[in-house]
Amino acid sequence: MTAKSAQRSVALSITGLSKSFAGVRAIDNLSFEVPEGRAVALIGPNGAGKTTVFNMVSGVYPVDCGTIAVNGVDVTHMPSRKRIAAGVARSFQNIRLMAHLSVLDNLLVGQHRRNASIAAMLTPYRLVPSHRWKREALQALAESGLEAYAKENVGALPYGVRKRIDLVRATLAGANVLMLDEPAAGLNPTETNALRGDLQALKARGLTLLVVEHDMHFVDSVCENVVVLNFGQKIAEGPLSTVRQDRLVREAYLGVEEEA
Amino acid sequence: MSGYLTGVLVTLSFNIIAAYAVYLPIAAGQLNLGIAGFMAIGAYAAAFLTNEMSWPIWAAVLVSAGLAGSVGLMIGLPVLRTHGIYLAMATFALGQVISAVFLNLEVVGGAAGYPVAAYAPPNIVFAAAAGVVGFMLLLSTTRFALYLTAVKSDPTVADLLGVSVRGIQAAAFTLGAMVAGFGGALYAHHYSFIEAQHFNVMLSVFPVLYVLFGGTQTVLGPLVGALFFTLAPEWLRASAEWRYALFALFIILFMAARPQGLVTMSLFRLFGRRKPQVTT
Amino acid sequence: MVSQQIVNGLMLGSIYMLVAVAFTLAIGVLNFLNFSIPGLFMVGGMAAYGGVKLGLHWSLAFAGALALAALISLAVERLAYRPMQGGDPEAPLVSSLGFLVLLENLMLIRYGSDQQAFPPLLADMNLRIGDLVIGMAQLASLALSIALVVWLSWFLSATNSGRRIRTVAESGETAVLLGVNMSSLAPRLFVGSAMLAATAGILFAVNYQQVSPFMGEGVGFKGVAAMIVGGMGSIWGAVLGGLLIGMIEVLSISVIGANVVNITVYGLLLLILILRPQGLIGRPPSREKL
Repeated sequence: MTAKSAQRSVALSITGLSKSFAGVRAIDNLSFEVPEGRAVALIGPNGAGKTTVFNMVSGVYPVDCGTIAVNGVDVTHMPSRKRIAAGVARSFQNIRLMAHLSVLDNLLVGQHRRNASIAAMLTPYRLVPSHRWKREALQALAESGLEAYAKENVGALPYGVRKRIDLVRATLAGANVLMLDEPAAGLNPTETNALRGDLQALKARGLTLLVVEHDMHFVDSVCENVVVLNFGQKIAEGPLSTVRQDRLVREAYLGVEEEA
Repeated sequence: MSGYLTGVLVTLSFNIIAAYAVYLPIAAGQLNLGIAGFMAIGAYAAAFLTNEMSWPIWAAVLVSAGLAGSVGLMIGLPVLRTHGIYLAMATFALGQVISAVFLNLEVVGGAAGYPVAAYAPPNIVFAAAAGVVGFMLLLSTTRFALYLTAVKSDPTVADLLGVSVRGIQAAAFTLGAMVAGFGGALYAHHYSFIEAQHFNVMLSVFPVLYVLFGGTQTVLGPLVGALFFTLAPEWLRASAEWRYALFALFIILFMAARPQGLVTMSLFRLFGRRKPQVTT
Repeated sequence: MVSQQIVNGLMLGSIYMLVAVAFTLAIGVLNFLNFSIPGLFMVGGMAAYGGVKLGLHWSLAFAGALALAALISLAVERLAYRPMQGGDPEAPLVSSLGFLVLLENLMLIRYGSDQQAFPPLLADMNLRIGDLVIGMAQLASLALSIALVVWLSWFLSATNSGRRIRTVAESGETAVLLGVNMSSLAPRLFVGSAMLAATAGILFAVNYQQVSPFMGEGVGFKGVAAMIVGGMGSIWGAVLGGLLIGMIEVLSISVIGANVVNITVYGLLLLILILRPQGLIGRPPSREKL
């Protein structure tokens, strides 16, 4: 494994990361790397600290100590707003689409990172029929087979559709590292398959994925490696089949449903 | 045009301008309860420029609008660090302080008021209101307008998508202050007299009512709200002394039935979808 | 002379304090900036005036005014608070302001827009300590305001209903999970806050011997300022804020002049909001979770 990752550059690197909330260690001296173009799953029982890692990488929480680097750039103390430009975008566990905007408008906000100049902000693009921003967003929707929803208000859409639109929005910023927080949770089997297709297409485009997910079949079909967290500490790392045999991992999941 | 009708339309024009001054920050999720303060800055600055410096009205109005905007930006930056109800109260306090400063400023008449020599006829006022509406419609077709809603809807996610939440909010607040200053400057030159007491809490609060009543989801909401609030009391003129009471009662019942305001996105969609169904 | 000003400032402050507590109950527990409170303050003063003018004994007139304010507040709960749950945070502002405008105009139709003289109740009874003159009415009002606030604070900390209210203030969702019945609690809070506002209105009428349909605006808005200066959602914050704002108002009038009141009072509010938004003794808001 080490020999393989040495050939690839590292897209996301986390070193010695720690975080406490009100004196309780949520993340304890965590280190791992995600090589460029790979998909890594962050797994562990509820409350293990998976979403906390996402929140620190995207800058929602400041870190207590440790460093986070994206594409070789240290982003540990970078304002959250600028991290998407450093190359890391994310989706949200409890889908955070903007309720008063249509699907298309949500995606247009997702494009902001690549259209951040004052001139772009003040272009009356809505007056231009099929402006390239709209075309691009529609095409991204079409790639996931969701183009029929473009004009809909996000609030009215089924859960699975919103979840996948959240993913499309995360891809539109042009970031090469995507962090997906429980992308398959709450999806029915058909939607899960569609999502698997979406993620494999992203990998084929060379994107790097860090996924928090409980569905081990899904993890197995998308991710090459897993990092197992328990009480904020890394207890195992490696391919899922290997990690599964680990005694610590079995203990951590004892009593928690595990699909064998 | 009869004098009465002209008078109503002039009031309507000023109400529309005020409504859009409030709409810009509200669209970005900031309730500005101090718009009267920025109107006062525009009114007094423009009156001073035409009275004491003999500037032409148009130049005085534009420069005063810019001045109100700059003051909005300067005071807005620290004030915008607060959120929600705190921000609303900060802008409320700001409006009170600004008009109280003019009450004590003897160079522009102090408590006695300040007569304005230059006169802006009704047609200029109408054109100015139309200009503000046109500007807002154009603005509503840009990414900036999109980001206003995004920042209001979910500031945390907007930030993570790279949108400068404070930048957008400061811009909306500043633009709103500028529009308010513009309206105030014209007000001074149309009515030929200003006094600090005019720029009070209610002058700040009523435009907020227009906007919330009309609805904050679309750019047309403030226009509809201002139209309704200006014209409905006129229609109720028959019951002269009851009209504001009836009007207030109506607002209460209306908001209870439709808290999101009159003009909403789904309203557009409703009409957009019904049409083809009817024809087929 | 200065001690006289301090007495006057305390008196005015105790009225702001009651209004601020009324606001803080609504916003601290129900997260509702209730702009009908200035209207209820005015109803307290004007209805008491109306009752006395009809020849009622002052105690009956006061009781009637309180009952009227409580009834109106129930209507506010029904029409302005309840339908707005889950909507835009600004929407209830419109309807509660609607109530303010409605109440003002109804009183205007009944009594006209002029200031009306409120008959003195305890006119000639003054306490003299050296140069200091303290009206008995002033003293009684001050004592009543403080007693009300102390009672309320005891109620919130020592009784079951009070604890329930504080649970709602901490987190509405948790409270519902714990079995607090919001649809019965909210109307009671509205009545409580209306009683405080109307009491303040009656005390204002008795002390300053004047009422008008618009008496609620100035006092009401300074009550909001007092609430925030002290710390939103905190009873003792509202007390501190109310007294402070009353003092500053009276002192700036006597030292500089009436025209600077809004600069000093609202300048202080602005300063507090920028430097310490949680108020003098409030807690900072918690951070959002993803």
